[in-house]
Amino acid sequence: MLEFLSYLFPGIGTLFVMDPVTSIVRILLIVFGFVLAYLGFKGTLEPLIMIPMGLGMIAVNAGTMFLAGGAIGNIIIDPLVSDPSAIVDVMQVNFLQPIYNLTFSNGLIACLVFMGIGARSEISFLLAKPWSSIAVALFAELGTFVTLILGVKLFGLDAPIAAAIATIGGADGPMVLVGSLMMAPELFVPISIIAYLYLSLTYGGYPFIIKALVPKKYRGIDMYVEVPEVSQKTKFTFIIIACAFLCLLLPVAAPLFVSFFLGMAVKEANMGHYTELLEKSLSYLATLLLGLILGALCEAQTILDPQVIRILILGILALAISAVGGLAGGWVMYLIHKRKGEDFNPTVGIAGVSCVPTTAKLAQHAAQEENPFAMILPVAMGANISGVITSAIATGVFITTISMVVK
Amino acid sequence: MNIYTYTILTYALTAVISFAVVGIIVLVGKITSKPADLEKEE
Repeated sequence: MLEFLSYLFPGIGTLFVMDPVTSIVRILLIVFGFVLAYLGFKGTLEPLIMIPMGLGMIAVNAGTMFLAGGAIGNIIIDPLVSDPSAIVDVMQVNFLQPIYNLTFSNGLIACLVFMGIGARSEISFLLAKPWSSIAVALFAELGTFVTLILGVKLFGLDAPIAAAIATIGGADGPMVLVGSLMMAPELFVPISIIAYLYLSLTYGGYPFIIKALVPKKYRGIDMYVEVPEVSQKTKFTFIIIACAFLCLLLPVAAPLFVSFFLGMAVKEANMGHYTELLEKSLSYLATLLLGLILGALCEAQTILDPQVIRILILGILALAISAVGGLAGGWVMYLIHKRKGEDFNPTVGIAGVSCVPTTAKLAQHAAQEENPFAMILPVAMGANISGVITSAIATGVFITTISMVVK
Repeated sequence: MNIYTYTILTYALTAVISFAVVGIIVLVGKITSKPADLEKEE
């Protein structure tokens, strides 16, 4: 009778057949999926990623069943298949497998998201305070570089794995996807899942870091900034030149650069239909599938990998150090501008962490909380876009040169 | 190369390339805005 019920409801039945630890983790992941989806629904976490991710997590851990030959698995996704003929077979069974194999394994999904980010980015903001913006963004890369050292020295990780985890410090999801695919493909799944989870948490966690490091009276500093009027021809010209320059220097990151600058170029060229396609349809479709697949990749076996705990610790450290670095950059810029008799709100530093546009909005929100008339968003957006550029450069530099490190 | 030297060098390289990109942006901005300014003056 029990055996019959187990085959009738395999999602429950497999819980009794599997190793008890795996079964418990499966149940915990189902609960965790509920929590993520609910927090996304409430707006505490980023709903665009968390709702599909939570549902994917629930589906893959609840929908475990008996497969042919007595194996236990699901008909959603199998990230471990690598043999070409097995991939063709499994694509005809697992419903998310075609999307995973054709858009994740080659980084295409990251490029699609990046096209959307490009189409949403306004380069004029960067021109408001170009040197300060890029300097702040470089300070905000501190987490990436410090985490690389911590990963190798403190946790004894191989340099490519430490570098892949360190890219979380850039706070740029697509970059983490590509970086981990290229430098630590065996850990791409847990690194990406943890990166997106943490990126969602920045919305809740960063305001505390801002309040801890920037006293009230400085948070409310208003900044008079004139965003220069730049013709579309000029913007289009430097988008093309910057793209060529970066692809020339870092060919390994060329897919990301071209995706980002393509989004920008299409907007400046007034190609309304393309802009709408990239900014709305394609970008949201890519984000939806990204969240769903990341959730579906969150199987009990993936979470039980002993490396996960290291990624969890290093990931949160990377993002926290980047926030501190960005705010330190904000203070440096404040002091430099003060000497010139200009105002600069140190809170802008947090926007150097390239989580577009979340960190820029956080900076503006923190300033407005203290001074309802403070307007720092244009400068914060400039730092934000600079952050995207520096994160892409740092990831490209890592991928190109990480083999030079001798342990 | 040990990890400390590597990290310092890659951080510096990231900074140099980032500033170069901004340099290009500012330079192109200046070059292309000059004719417009002259036209306005005329």
